[in-house]
Amino acid sequence: MSHGFMRGLLLLALALVLGFALMGFEMLGSRYLYPYFGGGINTWASLIATVLIALMAGYLIGGALVDRTMSPRLCGLLLVIAGVYLFSIPWWVDPLFAGMLTTVGDGMAGIILAAAILLLLPLTLMSVFTPFAVRLLLTSVTVGGRLVGYVYGVSTIGNVLGTLIVTFTLVPMFGSRALTMVFAAVTAACGVVMIVWDRFLRGEPS
Amino acid sequence: MMRIRWIGLTVALAALAAMPALGQSGLLETRESLYNNIFIFGDKDTVTMTFGQNKRYYTESSMSLPDPGALTVAYTRLMTLGIAYPPKLERILEIGLGGGRTVSYLSASLPDTSILAVELDKDVVDLAKKYFRFTETAKLRTVVSDGRAYLIRDPAKWDVILIDAYRGPFVPFHLLTKEFYTLAKSRLNPGGVVVQNIEPSTMLFDSATATLNSVFRSVDLYDGGGNVVAVAYDGPSLPQSELLGRAAKVQAQYQMRYDLRTMAADRRVFQHPKGKVMTDDFAPVETLRAIEQRNEKWKEQTEAPR
Repeated sequence: MSHGFMRGLLLLALALVLGFALMGFEMLGSRYLYPYFGGGINTWASLIATVLIALMAGYLIGGALVDRTMSPRLCGLLLVIAGVYLFSIPWWVDPLFAGMLTTVGDGMAGIILAAAILLLLPLTLMSVFTPFAVRLLLTSVTVGGRLVGYVYGVSTIGNVLGTLIVTFTLVPMFGSRALTMVFAAVTAACGVVMIVWDRFLRGEPS
Repeated sequence: MMRIRWIGLTVALAALAAMPALGQSGLLETRESLYNNIFIFGDKDTVTMTFGQNKRYYTESSMSLPDPGALTVAYTRLMTLGIAYPPKLERILEIGLGGGRTVSYLSASLPDTSILAVELDKDVVDLAKKYFRFTETAKLRTVVSDGRAYLIRDPAKWDVILIDAYRGPFVPFHLLTKEFYTLAKSRLNPGGVVVQNIEPSTMLFDSATATLNSVFRSVDLYDGGGNVVAVAYDGPSLPQSELLGRAAKVQAQYQMRYDLRTMAADRRVFQHPKGKVMTDDFAPVETLRAIEQRNEKWKEQTEAPR
Protein backbone atom coordinates (compact mmCIF):
# COMPACT_ATOMS: atom_id res chain seq x y z
CA MET A 1 0.00 0.00 0.00
CA SER A 2 1.16 3.44 -0.84
CA HIS A 3 2.52 5.88 1.64
CA GLY A 4 -0.28 8.33 0.88
CA PHE A 5 -2.95 5.69 1.44
CA MET A 6 -1.53 4.69 4.84
CA ARG A 7 -1.26 8.32 5.86
CA GLY A 8 -4.89 8.90 4.90
CA LEU A 9 -5.96 5.82 6.80
CA LEU A 10 -4.12 6.92 9.93
CA LEU A 11 -5.61 10.43 9.82
CA LEU A 12 -9.12 9.10 9.29
CA ALA A 13 -8.66 6.62 12.14
CA LEU A 14 -7.62 9.50 14.38
CA ALA A 15 -10.67 11.48 13.20
CA LEU A 16 -12.91 8.53 14.12
CA VAL A 17 -11.41 8.04 17.57
CA LEU A 18 -11.37 11.75 18.39
CA GLY A 19 -14.95 12.14 17.16
CA PHE A 20 -15.97 9.25 19.42
CA ALA A 21 -14.19 10.73 22.43
CA LEU A 22 -15.53 14.24 21.82
CA MET A 23 -19.19 13.24 21.96
CA GLY A 24 -18.36 10.80 24.74
CA PHE A 25 -17.22 13.78 26.78
CA GLU A 26 -20.42 15.67 26.00
CA MET A 27 -22.50 12.77 27.34
CA LEU A 28 -20.21 12.32 30.36
CA GLY A 29 -20.46 16.06 30.98
CA SER A 30 -24.13 15.60 31.83
CA ARG A 31 -23.18 13.21 34.60
CA TYR A 32 -20.93 15.83 36.16
CA LEU A 33 -23.46 18.64 35.84
CA TYR A 34 -26.64 16.86 37.02
CA PRO A 35 -25.76 16.59 40.72
CA TYR A 36 -25.25 20.33 40.97
CA PHE A 37 -27.36 21.96 38.29
CA GLY A 38 -30.14 19.44 37.80
CA GLY A 39 -31.00 17.34 34.81
CA GLY A 40 -33.19 19.60 32.76
CA ILE A 41 -33.27 20.85 29.19
CA ASN A 42 -31.26 23.82 30.49
CA THR A 43 -28.32 21.58 31.41
CA TRP A 44 -28.42 20.02 27.96
CA ALA A 45 -28.65 23.39 26.23
CA SER A 46 -25.53 24.53 28.08
CA LEU A 47 -23.64 21.36 27.21
CA ILE A 48 -24.61 21.43 23.54
CA ALA A 49 -23.82 25.13 23.21
CA THR A 50 -20.44 24.59 24.88
CA VAL A 51 -19.55 21.74 22.53
CA LEU A 52 -20.62 23.70 19.45
CA ILE A 53 -18.62 26.74 20.55
CA ALA A 54 -15.62 24.49 21.14
CA LEU A 55 -16.00 23.02 17.64
CA MET A 56 -16.22 26.49 16.12
CA ALA A 57 -13.22 27.80 18.02
CA GLY A 58 -11.22 24.65 17.27
CA TYR A 59 -11.96 24.83 13.54
CA LEU A 60 -10.98 28.51 13.38
CA ILE A 61 -7.80 28.09 15.40
CA GLY A 62 -6.84 24.85 13.68
CA GLY A 63 -7.38 26.38 10.24
CA ALA A 64 -5.22 29.38 11.06
CA LEU A 65 -2.47 27.24 12.59
CA VAL A 66 -2.23 24.65 9.85
CA ASP A 67 -1.93 27.26 7.13
CA ARG A 68 1.00 28.73 9.01
CA THR A 69 2.92 25.62 10.04
CA MET A 70 1.32 22.40 8.78
CA SER A 71 2.92 20.69 11.78
CA PRO A 72 1.33 17.42 12.97
CA ARG A 73 3.56 17.72 16.02
CA LEU A 74 1.87 20.98 17.07
CA CYS A 75 -1.58 19.45 16.66
CA GLY A 76 -0.43 16.41 18.64
CA LEU A 77 0.84 18.63 21.43
CA LEU A 78 -2.56 20.36 21.68
CA LEU A 79 -4.26 16.95 21.88
CA VAL A 80 -1.92 15.91 24.69
CA ILE A 81 -2.78 19.09 26.58
CA ALA A 82 -6.50 18.36 26.06
CA GLY A 83 -5.97 14.82 27.35
CA VAL A 84 -4.16 15.98 30.47
CA TYR A 85 -6.88 18.53 31.22
CA LEU A 86 -9.65 15.96 30.76
CA PHE A 87 -7.79 13.38 32.82
CA SER A 88 -7.69 15.80 35.74
CA ILE A 89 -11.47 16.48 35.75
CA PRO A 90 -12.50 13.84 38.31
CA TRP A 91 -10.14 15.38 40.89
CA TRP A 92 -11.46 18.93 40.89
CA VAL A 93 -14.96 18.84 39.46
CA ASP A 94 -16.99 18.17 42.62
CA PRO A 95 -15.50 20.80 44.94
CA LEU A 96 -15.50 23.34 42.11
CA PHE A 97 -19.16 22.82 41.16
CA ALA A 98 -20.26 22.76 44.80
CA GLY A 99 -18.46 26.07 45.29
CA MET A 100 -19.97 27.53 42.13
CA LEU A 101 -23.44 26.59 43.27
CA THR A 102 -23.06 28.74 46.36
CA THR A 103 -21.36 31.62 44.54
CA VAL A 104 -22.77 31.79 41.00
CA GLY A 105 -25.93 29.76 41.64
CA ASP A 106 -27.71 27.25 39.43
CA GLY A 107 -29.21 29.72 36.96
CA MET A 108 -28.28 30.08 33.32
CA ALA A 109 -24.95 31.76 34.10
CA GLY A 110 -23.96 29.03 36.54
CA ILE A 111 -24.74 26.10 34.25
CA ILE A 112 -23.12 27.63 31.17
CA LEU A 113 -20.02 28.59 33.15
CA ALA A 114 -19.80 25.09 34.63
CA ALA A 115 -20.19 23.41 31.23
CA ALA A 116 -17.58 25.77 29.78
CA ILE A 117 -15.05 25.11 32.53
CA LEU A 118 -15.59 21.39 32.12
CA LEU A 119 -15.34 21.10 28.34
CA LEU A 120 -14.60 24.30 26.43
CA LEU A 121 -10.80 24.25 26.51
CA PRO A 122 -10.17 20.53 25.90
CA LEU A 123 -12.84 20.15 23.22
CA THR A 124 -11.55 23.24 21.42
CA LEU A 125 -8.09 21.69 21.38
CA MET A 126 -9.54 18.40 20.16
CA SER A 127 -11.41 19.98 17.26
CA VAL A 128 -8.25 21.74 16.08
CA PHE A 129 -7.51 18.31 14.63
CA THR A 130 -10.13 18.50 11.85
CA PRO A 131 -8.61 21.34 9.76
CA PHE A 132 -5.17 19.81 10.34
CA ALA A 133 -6.38 16.50 8.95
CA VAL A 134 -7.96 18.15 5.93
CA ARG A 135 -4.87 20.19 5.12
CA LEU A 136 -2.47 17.28 5.64
CA LEU A 137 -4.51 15.07 3.34
CA LEU A 138 -4.97 17.74 0.70
CA THR A 139 -2.48 16.90 -2.00
CA SER A 140 -4.51 18.20 -4.91
CA VAL A 141 -7.41 20.64 -5.14
CA THR A 142 -9.20 18.33 -7.54
CA VAL A 143 -9.91 15.86 -4.70
CA GLY A 144 -10.51 18.60 -2.09
CA GLY A 145 -14.27 18.15 -1.92
CA ARG A 146 -14.09 14.41 -1.37
CA LEU A 147 -11.32 14.81 1.21
CA VAL A 148 -13.31 17.26 3.29
CA GLY A 149 -16.26 14.92 2.96
CA TYR A 150 -14.23 11.94 4.21
CA VAL A 151 -12.79 13.78 7.20
CA TYR A 152 -16.14 15.21 8.31
CA GLY A 153 -18.01 12.01 7.50
CA VAL A 154 -15.65 9.76 9.44
CA SER A 155 -15.43 12.17 12.34
CA THR A 156 -19.24 12.37 12.48
CA ILE A 157 -19.51 8.57 12.48
CA GLY A 158 -17.21 8.77 15.50
CA ASN A 159 -19.57 11.35 17.05
CA VAL A 160 -22.58 9.12 16.53
CA LEU A 161 -20.88 6.00 17.90
CA GLY A 162 -19.50 7.97 20.85
CA THR A 163 -22.92 9.38 21.72
CA LEU A 164 -24.70 6.04 21.58
CA ILE A 165 -22.10 3.62 22.88
CA VAL A 166 -21.07 5.83 25.79
CA THR A 167 -24.68 6.38 26.84
CA PHE A 168 -26.13 2.93 26.38
CA THR A 169 -23.17 0.69 27.11
CA LEU A 170 -20.12 2.26 28.68
CA VAL A 171 -21.62 4.54 31.37
CA PRO A 172 -23.83 1.76 32.78
CA MET A 173 -20.86 -0.63 32.79
CA PHE A 174 -17.95 1.46 34.00
CA GLY A 175 -19.18 4.70 35.54
CA SER A 176 -18.37 8.19 34.41
CA ARG A 177 -15.08 8.87 36.25
CA ALA A 178 -13.24 5.85 34.91
CA LEU A 179 -14.51 6.55 31.39
CA THR A 180 -13.38 10.16 31.58
CA MET A 181 -9.87 9.04 32.39
CA VAL A 182 -9.81 6.36 29.68
CA PHE A 183 -11.05 8.77 27.01
CA ALA A 184 -8.60 11.40 28.21
CA ALA A 185 -5.78 8.88 27.86
CA VAL A 186 -7.02 7.94 24.38
CA THR A 187 -7.08 11.61 23.37
CA ALA A 188 -3.55 12.10 24.64
CA ALA A 189 -2.48 8.91 22.85
CA CYS A 190 -3.82 10.33 19.56
CA GLY A 191 -1.64 13.37 20.23
CA VAL A 192 1.41 11.21 20.89
CA VAL A 193 0.81 9.36 17.61
CA MET A 194 0.84 12.69 15.77
CA ILE A 195 4.03 13.78 17.52
CA VAL A 196 5.87 10.52 16.92
CA TRP A 197 4.80 10.18 13.27
CA ASP A 198 5.22 13.86 12.54
CA ARG A 199 7.33 13.37 9.41
CA PHE A 200 5.19 10.51 8.13
CA LEU A 201 2.06 12.60 8.50
CA ARG A 202 3.65 15.55 6.72
CA GLY A 203 4.03 13.29 3.73
CA GLU A 204 7.76 12.98 3.97
CA PRO A 205 9.20 9.44 3.61
CA SER A 206 10.05 8.23 7.07
CA MET B 1 -24.61 15.15 15.64
CA MET B 2 -27.35 17.51 14.48
CA ARG B 3 -29.16 14.73 12.69
CA ILE B 4 -29.67 12.76 15.89
CA ARG B 5 -31.15 15.71 17.67
CA TRP B 6 -33.60 16.37 14.86
CA ILE B 7 -34.77 12.78 14.95
CA GLY B 8 -35.16 13.03 18.72
CA LEU B 9 -37.15 16.23 18.37
CA THR B 10 -39.39 14.73 15.72
CA VAL B 11 -40.10 11.68 17.86
CA ALA B 12 -40.81 13.91 20.85
CA LEU B 13 -43.20 16.09 18.85
CA ALA B 14 -44.98 13.05 17.44
CA ALA B 15 -45.38 11.63 20.93
CA LEU B 16 -46.68 14.97 22.17
CA ALA B 17 -49.15 15.18 19.30
CA ALA B 18 -50.35 11.64 20.01
CA MET B 19 -50.97 12.26 23.68
CA PRO B 20 -54.20 14.27 23.62
CA ALA B 21 -55.55 11.61 21.27
CA LEU B 22 -55.37 8.91 23.92
CA GLY B 23 -59.02 9.35 24.68
CA GLN B 24 -58.66 11.04 28.04
CA SER B 25 -61.47 13.43 28.68
CA GLY B 26 -61.49 16.41 30.93
CA LEU B 27 -58.16 17.89 29.94
CA LEU B 28 -58.17 21.24 31.69
CA GLU B 29 -54.75 22.55 30.79
CA THR B 30 -51.56 21.51 29.04
CA ARG B 31 -48.33 23.22 29.79
CA GLU B 32 -44.92 22.57 28.33
CA SER B 33 -42.55 23.80 30.97
CA LEU B 34 -38.78 23.93 31.04
CA TYR B 35 -38.73 20.41 32.49
CA ASN B 36 -42.00 18.65 31.82
CA ASN B 37 -45.07 18.30 29.66
CA ILE B 38 -47.73 18.87 32.28
CA PHE B 39 -51.35 17.86 31.76
CA ILE B 40 -54.08 18.77 34.22
CA PHE B 41 -57.18 16.59 34.04
CA GLY B 42 -60.36 17.16 35.95
CA ASP B 43 -63.98 16.14 36.30
CA LYS B 44 -66.58 17.02 38.89
CA ASP B 45 -64.90 14.93 41.59
CA THR B 46 -61.17 14.91 40.98
CA VAL B 47 -58.37 17.00 39.61
CA THR B 48 -55.13 15.31 38.60
CA MET B 49 -51.71 16.57 37.62
CA THR B 50 -49.85 14.30 35.21
CA PHE B 51 -46.59 14.46 33.33
CA GLY B 52 -46.75 13.02 29.85
CA GLN B 53 -43.94 10.81 28.68
CA ASN B 54 -43.71 7.92 26.24
CA LYS B 55 -47.33 8.45 25.20
CA ARG B 56 -48.43 7.83 28.76
CA TYR B 57 -49.52 10.04 31.60
CA TYR B 58 -47.87 9.65 34.95
CA THR B 59 -49.90 10.94 37.85
CA GLU B 60 -47.94 13.36 39.98
CA SER B 61 -50.76 14.53 42.19
CA SER B 62 -54.46 14.03 42.68
CA MET B 63 -57.09 15.88 44.70
CA SER B 64 -60.69 15.12 45.56
CA LEU B 65 -62.79 18.24 44.97
CA PRO B 66 -65.51 17.45 47.54
CA ASP B 67 -62.78 16.67 50.09
CA PRO B 68 -59.64 18.59 49.17
CA GLY B 69 -57.92 17.83 52.47
CA ALA B 70 -57.93 14.08 51.78
CA LEU B 71 -54.77 12.38 50.61
CA THR B 72 -56.25 10.26 47.85
CA VAL B 73 -53.10 8.35 46.91
CA ALA B 74 -52.11 5.66 49.42
CA TYR B 75 -48.38 6.28 49.38
CA THR B 76 -48.80 10.01 50.09
CA ARG B 77 -50.58 9.10 53.33
CA LEU B 78 -47.60 6.91 54.25
CA MET B 79 -45.18 9.76 53.48
CA THR B 80 -46.76 11.60 56.43
CA LEU B 81 -45.76 8.77 58.77
CA GLY B 82 -42.28 10.28 58.75
CA ILE B 83 -43.46 12.73 61.41
CA ALA B 84 -43.87 9.90 63.92
CA TYR B 85 -40.11 9.28 64.11
CA PRO B 86 -38.18 12.44 65.11
CA PRO B 87 -38.05 13.88 68.63
CA LYS B 88 -39.34 17.28 67.45
CA LEU B 89 -41.21 18.65 64.45
CA GLU B 90 -40.02 22.17 63.96
CA ARG B 91 -38.92 22.05 60.34
CA ILE B 92 -39.95 19.80 57.45
CA LEU B 93 -38.48 19.89 53.95
CA GLU B 94 -40.13 18.36 50.92
CA ILE B 95 -38.32 17.83 47.62
CA GLY B 96 -40.85 17.61 44.80
CA LEU B 97 -44.06 19.58 45.35
CA GLY B 98 -46.44 18.10 42.77
CA GLY B 99 -49.90 19.43 43.54
CA GLY B 100 -48.75 20.22 47.07
CA ARG B 101 -51.36 18.02 48.75
CA THR B 102 -48.96 16.32 51.17
CA VAL B 103 -47.38 19.53 52.47
CA SER B 104 -50.79 21.24 52.62
CA TYR B 105 -52.08 18.37 54.75
CA LEU B 106 -49.02 18.48 57.00
CA SER B 107 -49.18 22.25 57.33
CA ALA B 108 -52.87 22.16 58.24
CA SER B 109 -52.22 19.42 60.80
CA LEU B 110 -49.01 20.88 62.26
CA PRO B 111 -49.67 24.62 62.41
CA ASP B 112 -46.47 25.44 64.31
CA THR B 113 -44.12 23.55 61.98
CA SER B 114 -42.17 25.41 59.31
CA ILE B 115 -42.51 23.55 56.03
CA LEU B 116 -40.53 24.25 52.89
CA ALA B 117 -41.22 22.58 49.55
CA VAL B 118 -38.41 22.65 46.99
CA GLU B 119 -39.75 22.22 43.48
CA LEU B 120 -37.65 22.18 40.33
CA ASP B 121 -40.39 23.32 37.98
CA LYS B 122 -41.88 26.76 38.47
CA ASP B 123 -44.90 25.79 36.36
CA VAL B 124 -45.67 22.94 38.76
CA VAL B 125 -45.85 25.47 41.60
CA ASP B 126 -48.11 27.73 39.52
CA LEU B 127 -50.42 24.85 38.59
CA ALA B 128 -50.55 23.62 42.19
CA LYS B 129 -51.79 27.06 43.18
CA LYS B 130 -54.21 27.26 40.28
CA TYR B 131 -55.81 23.82 40.50
CA PHE B 132 -54.87 22.20 43.81
CA ARG B 133 -55.74 24.99 46.23
CA PHE B 134 -52.13 25.21 47.24
CA THR B 135 -51.40 28.44 49.09
CA GLU B 136 -48.17 29.62 50.59
CA THR B 137 -48.24 30.93 54.13
CA ALA B 138 -45.64 32.12 56.61
CA LYS B 139 -45.26 28.48 57.69
CA LEU B 140 -45.56 26.83 54.29
CA ARG B 141 -43.20 28.16 51.66
CA THR B 142 -41.82 27.01 48.32
CA VAL B 143 -38.48 27.50 46.63
CA VAL B 144 -37.98 26.85 42.93
CA SER B 145 -34.75 24.85 42.68
CA ASP B 146 -33.31 21.44 42.02
CA GLY B 147 -33.60 19.57 45.32
CA ARG B 148 -29.99 18.53 45.54
CA ALA B 149 -28.70 21.95 44.51
CA TYR B 150 -30.88 23.45 47.25
CA LEU B 151 -29.47 21.14 49.93
CA ILE B 152 -25.91 21.98 48.88
CA ARG B 153 -26.55 25.71 49.20
CA ASP B 154 -28.64 25.79 52.35
CA PRO B 155 -26.88 24.35 55.41
CA ALA B 156 -30.08 24.52 57.52
CA LYS B 157 -31.16 21.32 59.22
CA TRP B 158 -34.52 19.62 59.15
CA ASP B 159 -36.44 17.12 61.27
CA VAL B 160 -38.03 15.38 58.29
CA ILE B 161 -36.91 15.46 54.65
CA LEU B 162 -39.57 14.11 52.28
CA ILE B 163 -38.32 13.15 48.83
CA ASP B 164 -40.98 12.66 46.17
CA ALA B 165 -39.24 13.92 43.08
CA TYR B 166 -40.45 12.04 40.05
CA ARG B 167 -40.21 13.23 36.51
CA GLY B 168 -42.92 11.12 34.96
CA PRO B 169 -41.98 7.54 35.77
CA PHE B 170 -38.44 8.24 36.88
CA VAL B 171 -36.51 9.71 39.77
CA PRO B 172 -33.57 11.75 38.42
CA PHE B 173 -30.38 9.76 39.06
CA HIS B 174 -28.73 12.45 41.14
CA LEU B 175 -31.45 12.06 43.78
CA LEU B 176 -30.69 8.35 44.21
CA THR B 177 -26.96 8.24 44.88
CA LYS B 178 -24.88 7.71 47.97
CA GLU B 179 -23.53 11.25 47.71
CA PHE B 180 -27.06 12.65 47.66
CA TYR B 181 -28.18 10.68 50.71
CA THR B 182 -24.99 11.64 52.53
CA LEU B 183 -25.82 15.28 51.81
CA ALA B 184 -29.42 14.81 52.99
CA LYS B 185 -28.19 13.10 56.17
CA SER B 186 -25.92 16.06 56.91
CA ARG B 187 -29.01 18.30 56.78
CA LEU B 188 -30.94 16.35 59.42
CA ASN B 189 -31.34 17.30 63.06
CA PRO B 190 -30.52 14.52 65.57
CA GLY B 191 -33.19 11.84 65.23
CA GLY B 192 -34.35 13.23 61.89
CA VAL B 193 -35.56 11.05 59.03
CA VAL B 194 -35.45 10.96 55.25
CA VAL B 195 -38.67 9.69 53.71
CA GLN B 196 -38.63 8.67 50.07
CA ASN B 197 -41.21 7.30 47.68
CA ILE B 198 -39.66 4.45 45.70
CA GLU B 199 -41.25 2.50 42.88
CA PRO B 200 -40.77 -1.25 43.50
CA SER B 201 -41.44 -2.79 40.10
CA THR B 202 -37.88 -2.70 38.72
CA MET B 203 -34.36 -3.61 39.80
CA LEU B 204 -33.79 0.07 40.49
CA PHE B 205 -35.69 -0.44 43.74
CA ASP B 206 -33.05 -2.88 45.02
CA SER B 207 -30.27 -0.45 44.29
CA ALA B 208 -32.12 2.56 45.70
CA THR B 209 -32.86 0.82 49.01
CA ALA B 210 -29.33 -0.61 49.25
CA THR B 211 -27.96 2.88 48.65
CA LEU B 212 -30.19 4.41 51.32
CA ASN B 213 -29.08 1.69 53.70
CA SER B 214 -25.40 2.37 52.92
CA VAL B 215 -25.82 5.86 54.35
CA PHE B 216 -28.52 5.35 56.99
CA ARG B 217 -28.16 2.50 59.43
CA SER B 218 -31.90 1.85 59.56
CA VAL B 219 -34.45 1.80 56.77
CA ASP B 220 -38.13 1.01 57.28
CA LEU B 221 -40.35 0.20 54.32
CA TYR B 222 -44.10 0.63 53.99
CA ASP B 223 -46.29 -0.80 51.26
CA GLY B 224 -48.13 2.09 49.65
CA GLY B 225 -50.08 0.07 47.12
CA GLY B 226 -47.90 0.30 44.03
CA ASN B 227 -45.28 2.53 45.58
CA VAL B 228 -43.12 1.81 48.58
CA VAL B 229 -42.32 4.47 51.16
CA ALA B 230 -38.90 4.26 52.78
CA VAL B 231 -38.13 5.93 56.09
CA ALA B 232 -34.39 6.14 56.68
CA TYR B 233 -32.66 7.23 59.88
CA ASP B 234 -29.41 6.94 61.71
CA GLY B 235 -28.86 4.65 64.67
CA PRO B 236 -30.21 1.19 65.39
CA SER B 237 -33.63 0.09 64.20
CA LEU B 238 -36.34 1.25 66.56
CA PRO B 239 -38.15 -1.50 68.44
CA GLN B 240 -41.72 -1.65 67.18
CA SER B 241 -43.07 -0.78 70.63
CA GLU B 242 -40.94 2.38 70.63
CA LEU B 243 -42.18 3.46 67.19
CA LEU B 244 -45.79 2.75 68.11
CA GLY B 245 -45.30 4.76 71.29
CA ARG B 246 -43.92 7.71 69.36
CA ALA B 247 -46.69 7.43 66.77
CA ALA B 248 -49.29 7.42 69.53
CA LYS B 249 -47.75 10.51 71.11
CA VAL B 250 -47.65 12.50 67.88
CA GLN B 251 -51.13 11.25 67.00
CA ALA B 252 -52.49 12.38 70.35
CA GLN B 253 -50.84 15.77 70.03
CA TYR B 254 -51.91 16.62 66.47
CA GLN B 255 -54.98 14.42 65.84
CA MET B 256 -53.79 13.46 62.38
CA ARG B 257 -56.60 12.49 60.00
CA TYR B 258 -54.60 9.47 58.80
CA ASP B 259 -53.77 7.66 62.00
CA LEU B 260 -50.02 7.28 62.45
CA ARG B 261 -50.45 4.23 64.69
CA THR B 262 -52.35 2.31 62.02
CA MET B 263 -49.75 3.11 59.39
CA ALA B 264 -46.82 2.31 61.69
CA ALA B 265 -48.31 -1.14 62.32
CA ASP B 266 -47.61 -2.10 58.70
CA ARG B 267 -43.89 -1.49 59.03
CA ARG B 268 -41.34 -3.77 57.38
CA VAL B 269 -37.68 -3.46 58.34
CA PHE B 270 -35.19 -3.49 55.48
CA GLN B 271 -32.68 -6.18 56.40
CA HIS B 272 -31.24 -7.80 53.31
CA PRO B 273 -29.76 -5.36 50.82
CA LYS B 274 -29.61 -7.01 47.43
CA GLY B 275 -28.89 -4.26 44.93
CA LYS B 276 -25.68 -2.48 44.07
CA VAL B 277 -25.01 0.82 45.81
CA MET B 278 -25.29 3.76 43.40
CA THR B 279 -22.88 6.66 43.39
CA ASP B 280 -22.53 9.84 41.33
CA ASP B 281 -19.85 7.95 39.44
CA PHE B 282 -21.78 4.74 38.91
CA ALA B 283 -25.54 4.96 38.72
CA PRO B 284 -26.87 2.85 35.83
CA VAL B 285 -30.45 3.88 36.55
CA GLU B 286 -31.59 3.43 32.97
CA THR B 287 -30.35 -0.15 32.86
CA LEU B 288 -31.70 -1.06 36.30
CA ARG B 289 -35.18 0.25 35.71
CA ALA B 290 -35.35 -1.63 32.44
CA ILE B 291 -35.32 -4.89 34.39
CA GLU B 292 -38.76 -5.48 35.78
CA GLN B 293 -39.52 -7.58 38.80
CA ARG B 294 -42.61 -8.75 40.54
CA ASN B 295 -44.19 -6.03 42.59
CA GLU B 296 -44.24 -7.90 45.89
CA LYS B 297 -40.70 -9.20 45.59
CA TRP B 298 -39.27 -6.33 47.62
CA LYS B 299 -40.74 -7.83 50.79
CA GLU B 300 -38.17 -10.63 50.60
CA GLN B 301 -35.56 -8.06 51.56
CA THR B 302 -37.40 -7.13 54.74
CA GLU B 303 -38.27 -8.62 58.10
CA ALA B 304 -41.12 -7.95 60.48
CA PRO B 305 -40.09 -5.39 63.12
CA ARG B 306 -39.14 -6.63 66.55
